[in-house]
Amino acid sequence: MKTVFEIASAVQNGTLTAREAVLESLCKIKELNPQINAFVEVWPEEALKRAEEIDARREKGEKLGPLAGVPVGIKDNILYKGHKATCCSKMLENYVAPYNATVVEKLLSADAVIVGRTNMDEFAMGSSNQTSVYGPAHNPVDFDRVPGGSSGGSAAAVAAGMVPAALGTDTGGSVRQPASFCGVVGVKPGYGRISRYGVVAFSSGADQIGVLTGDVKSAALMLEVLCGRDTNDSTSLEDEVPAFSQHFTADIKGLKVGMPKGFLDNLGEEVKEKILAAADKLKSLGAQLIEVEVPHAKYSAPCYYIITSAEASSNLARFDGIRYGYSAPNAKDLNDQYELNRAPFGIEVKKRLIIGSTALRAENYKACYLQAVKVRELIKQDFAKAFEKVDVILTPTSPTAAFTLGAHKDNPMAVYLADLYTCQGNIGGLAGISVPCGNDKQGLPVGLQFYGPILQEEKILNAAYHFEKAS
Amino acid sequence: MILEKDNAARCARMAKVRLSAEEEALYEEQMKELFAWVEQLSAVDTSTVEETTAARAAYLRPDEPVTNEPLAQTLVSQFNAQQDHCVKVKKVL
Repeated sequence: MKTVFEIASAVQNGTLTAREAVLESLCKIKELNPQINAFVEVWPEEALKRAEEIDARREKGEKLGPLAGVPVGIKDNILYKGHKATCCSKMLENYVAPYNATVVEKLLSADAVIVGRTNMDEFAMGSSNQTSVYGPAHNPVDFDRVPGGSSGGSAAAVAAGMVPAALGTDTGGSVRQPASFCGVVGVKPGYGRISRYGVVAFSSGADQIGVLTGDVKSAALMLEVLCGRDTNDSTSLEDEVPAFSQHFTADIKGLKVGMPKGFLDNLGEEVKEKILAAADKLKSLGAQLIEVEVPHAKYSAPCYYIITSAEASSNLARFDGIRYGYSAPNAKDLNDQYELNRAPFGIEVKKRLIIGSTALRAENYKACYLQAVKVRELIKQDFAKAFEKVDVILTPTSPTAAFTLGAHKDNPMAVYLADLYTCQGNIGGLAGISVPCGNDKQGLPVGLQFYGPILQEEKILNAAYHFEKAS
Repeated sequence: MILEKDNAARCARMAKVRLSAEEEALYEEQMKELFAWVEQLSAVDTSTVEETTAARAAYLRPDEPVTNEPLAQTLVSQFNAQQDHCVKVKKVL
């Protein structure tokens, strides 16, 4: 499939119609989705109708938007008015979005065509897309393996060529880790860059919308469209959004790339080899490799699980059967009503609600939640100090390539630990991008991650663009 | 130990989550492991971090009045039980 840039340019200049672009996407979905389960619902008639409207406007001589005719998938926790948004949970199985998320409005204004909603871990809690009520999505590289998560459907859809771009959300790496597992590009801008209005909240201090694409330049264009201030999101930043897709430099000579001390210590040999080879490649392109210290970053994963579970226990209280969600008909009393109303939540969601409320209880609050938010502050300070010395920081995206479906089922700690490299970005509020850096001996993609300071997304996009070009 | 005097069943009751016997056994083990892992945070010296700084997750703009499109009827229409433009819920008290 063509890239976002290629489709938009071709539709704008008339060498391709939006209808042709969307039809190709729909055909690919029809062919591959039965095996991959990347999309949980597709809207073919509506997508084709919208594509025809875009073509008609071009024929009339109207100037089309920057994503003209680009088919896009959206994660099932993003509201698109009049369409189901279920978070891949039984709890919201019949919920229809009453309004558009800001990102949906922006996609539509840019003349993109939303073709369907993509599979995900229930309420975005998971790293393998195995907690979805619609069943797991499969990795297009190897159908017996997970695509990663929680935005597994979005990554799989892009990797399989069903769509050139998809939206995901990233609370602890849920865009970047599946991008790494599926061999595509996944970027999460800094906290506050993209409005979360109309996205079902999981952990408000960490949730960010991100994009998955086949190449870095397309990711830059998507970010350009989606970033920017929104009065409907109080965390939305007021700062101007650069034209990211126009910010690529001629080379990266002199770029200071930070390598965190000890960050390769617990890696498997194959991933370690790929990351070191990538560092060598950057050096050969003229970048300087500089060791940096982020001593508290090793605490990111436990911080992440306490803070996000605590915030989830508060955010998901709205699924009480009155404001949202299932209302049990035969409750005996109020307590019974609350407990029965929460029955549709899956096993991982229930667990995190219990962890979160336990961490927030008066007797645990100081030792658990407050200590985690204090350590988060130290992690932020570490990164701020490191970025005084370097432009970007390089890490693996995930310590492993995609694992097989069902693996780690009885050992969730193994999955939590694997979030180490990605959740640093959410805990630190940083911008992060995962870009493919080759395959392991089994042919599975391995991802390389660049971190950059908030409001400097162009730096990570530029580093990733040059690395991609040289790969 | 965070879970020394707690167990999964008690924590679940506080969180208003009902567990099956199977889930209870599973969570008991997994939560003990998770909170033991989280204990490593207590070894970090956080004496230099102000509580108020730490609690502020992110920049927040000043509050501004925003007028949203009227959605009440759309939202109410999603419920099976309705009466007089309101969601009808079971009497529980």
